[in-house]
Amino acid sequence: MTEGRKILGSIGLGILTIFVIVAVLAPHIAPYDPHQMYRPMEHPSSRHLLGTNDIGNDILSEIIYGTRVSLFIAFIVSAISMLVGTSLGLIAGYFDKLGFLIMRVVDIFLTIPRLPLIIIIAASMRPSIWNLIAIFLIFGWTMTARIIRSEVLTLRTRYYIDATKMIGGGDFYILWRHILPNVIPLVVVQFIMEAIHVILAESGLSFLGLGDPVARSWGMVLHYAFECPIIYVSDVWMWWMLPPGLCIVFTVLGLTFVGYALEETLDPRLKNPAYGREL
Amino acid sequence: MSVIEISDLKTYFPTKDGIVRAVDRIDLSIHERETIGLIGETGCGKTVLGLTLMRLLHPTTTVEGTIMYGGKNLLKISEAEMRLIRGEAIAMILQNPTTSLNPVMRVGEQIAEAIRLHQGLNRRDAKEKAVEMLDAVRIPLPHKRVGEYPHEFSGGMKQRVMIAMGLACNPSFIIADEPTKGLDVTIKAQIIELLRETTPDKAMLLITHDLDVARELCDRIAIMYAGELVECAPTDEIFEDPLHPYTRGFLGSLPRNGLVPIPGMSPSLINLPDGCRFHPRCADAKETCQKKHPEMIEVECGHFVRCFDA
Amino acid sequence: MPGDALSYLTDPGADIPVRMTEEKREILLAYYGLDKPILEQYINYMVGITRGDLGWSIYYSAPVLEVILGRLKWTLLLVGTSTAIHVTLGILIGAASAWAHGRTKDVCLLVSILSISSFPSFFLGILMVIFFGIKLDIFPIGGAQTAFATYQSPFGEIFDILHHLILPAATLVISHIGGTYLLMRNSMLGVLGEDYIMTARAKGLSERYILHRHALTNALLPIVTMTAMTIGFMIMGTIFVETVFAYPGIGNLLYNAVLYHDYPLLQGIFLFMTIAIVGANFLADMIYVRLDPRVDHE
Repeated sequence: MTEGRKILGSIGLGILTIFVIVAVLAPHIAPYDPHQMYRPMEHPSSRHLLGTNDIGNDILSEIIYGTRVSLFIAFIVSAISMLVGTSLGLIAGYFDKLGFLIMRVVDIFLTIPRLPLIIIIAASMRPSIWNLIAIFLIFGWTMTARIIRSEVLTLRTRYYIDATKMIGGGDFYILWRHILPNVIPLVVVQFIMEAIHVILAESGLSFLGLGDPVARSWGMVLHYAFECPIIYVSDVWMWWMLPPGLCIVFTVLGLTFVGYALEETLDPRLKNPAYGREL
Repeated sequence: MSVIEISDLKTYFPTKDGIVRAVDRIDLSIHERETIGLIGETGCGKTVLGLTLMRLLHPTTTVEGTIMYGGKNLLKISEAEMRLIRGEAIAMILQNPTTSLNPVMRVGEQIAEAIRLHQGLNRRDAKEKAVEMLDAVRIPLPHKRVGEYPHEFSGGMKQRVMIAMGLACNPSFIIADEPTKGLDVTIKAQIIELLRETTPDKAMLLITHDLDVARELCDRIAIMYAGELVECAPTDEIFEDPLHPYTRGFLGSLPRNGLVPIPGMSPSLINLPDGCRFHPRCADAKETCQKKHPEMIEVECGHFVRCFDA
Repeated sequence: MPGDALSYLTDPGADIPVRMTEEKREILLAYYGLDKPILEQYINYMVGITRGDLGWSIYYSAPVLEVILGRLKWTLLLVGTSTAIHVTLGILIGAASAWAHGRTKDVCLLVSILSISSFPSFFLGILMVIFFGIKLDIFPIGGAQTAFATYQSPFGEIFDILHHLILPAATLVISHIGGTYLLMRNSMLGVLGEDYIMTARAKGLSERYILHRHALTNALLPIVTMTAMTIGFMIMGTIFVETVFAYPGIGNLLYNAVLYHDYPLLQGIFLFMTIAIVGANFLADMIYVRLDPRVDHE
């Protein structure tokens, strides 16, 4: 891996680790319970480092607990999407008839514009964290399934697969021992891509007001901030909008850097454009 | 009269595993109207030599030595001056026509652009010339084919197009890199014939691993091994009286001679053996061969070898 | 479904709560056809589409089609300009980055663009509003035109519209530029490593010429398909950008429809967006076939 990518990857990993630690240790780090109400619309002070929101919750605590919500949603959706997507991709790539069916479904899902549909579905359901997760899961697996399937199709034609068949290896054995290990790097990168997408989409949805009002993610904090009528004319945005927004930015940044660093292991063309040819 | 005089040429690639000595102190003279064959296994540095002559290597490559052409050292002139020479005075026919042709550009245009650049012709005249070139390389229906795309040509035809591109500006020196690689026997014969017909007045460096092709076309043959020249002689002498053990082994590995392989593997160009680079695989290796590095000596008139045993 | 269409009207938190008895409610439901079984509603809807009837917006009290069309032009303007700028910029910066691969220019561009892409579009929009609209006060903070303005000349109106367009368009462009940039960069890097670039050099062609005639043309091919996806992303992005800038387009309309549970309107907008995105993809496929000579023209 070239130096530059390594550095970026490490920075990304560092950022993510910080957020994960905050999420895990939230109850110990946050100064107050985010649902506890104090005097509303307070400016930052020694008691409330980021002030309070319109109903009196401590903003800093909100943001710290919000880390849990945002990260949880992103990682759970990505993890399950990867499982489902990879399994379906493996099956679709290996077994043709089933594969045809699966890919048609994937095609349908991929043509439909995700966001408007997600918005409509979210709007028709009770806003809750589990509903959000379910909604994202509807689409999350599709891209992965397609990518994995393409890879399986390529891997399938390699000779060692035939060789394994000749010595009597069964289909699932081949899938498990030979194809799956080769596909794992792709899955890791897809996991990161999906996580990025979910964080951005979830914060967007929450911003529109469709998130869980109890388990407030960063997007929801921003939603309430945006709704506040004096948000622009005073300085309130500085401590109510900027911090949660920046949290989203840095989390995505961390993920992007890690994803970028890992991507090189998959595409050797990107390594060096030197004109070194066959000697 | 030598057209190109190569002295002490070195091409080294810095890599994270060490320095790759692809071309290590090569001396070679190529004369007018002479065709020299550069023979060697894959990975011995032949193509790199060709690219070095054209100065087509990445800027991070270390290139030292002299390449005298037309009174100038090609390694010292500016890039702008070199560009004037490339394609017109010295042309290279690169390997692998399938990937060496731009897939979204018409074949005629790929030939014509060099003509427009070097000879200053307008679009229409350049296109006419391109048609002429396609005809010269025996592509049927040149007027029609000039507007087609590379994927519409077969492998042998693409190779002809590459040759046409090389000859388009009438260079005095051509470097042909593996022009028959991957072609089946009948097509190979046609390409050999084509090259013979179109280059009698030019100097040519024919890079190949195929001895039969070299035998047909070359006046002299230089054998390359691990970045060095190990033997250089007129064609007949190479075949009738090979002096270097590697050359003998190479000849012995031809199908008609029994397909006897040379034991061992060619050395990595990063970790070269001490002394004679061939000694680990040489049946006649002696003590000196392991310690001292042999120089190239003229054993008979015009016949040079790099071996203590000659 | 929770919060059916009429509940907004009766919601005590609504602007003008309408008191309804159960009877009245049923009459209204029947009027809107919401009392029939789901399947029948669905079929009626489909049939209606073919006749150009997309239903009736409950919040706006007007045919859905009319409501949507009234706002369509602003979204088209926004998405159109943004896509054009985005694609051009993405190609230029991506190509420049690839050409300078590994050097400082490339690295700086790469890190900057990657970082910028991490901003969610609505957050970026808010920041834009705050810095350019309020602090520096050079751009208006909302709307597509100054309300109640009169113009001395058509130029005045055009200028006003452009003035309002800049920030939302900039937000859309910046938040999505990452995708095209990376694609162009990767595509270009791949092309630059190809053998035919070496052939072009061997012919003595200048680097500039090679970049334009050989590299760009090949590298641009994937961009065409990507542009269709980009339009799709832009359309989805307008939902947020229009909301933040109170820009009266379809995105903003969607937000309102969600807020007021106006399902017919929601469906109508969704239909429009789907057609637009599918159409864009289709168009991109058609164009790609014409551009790449390797693909069979059937």
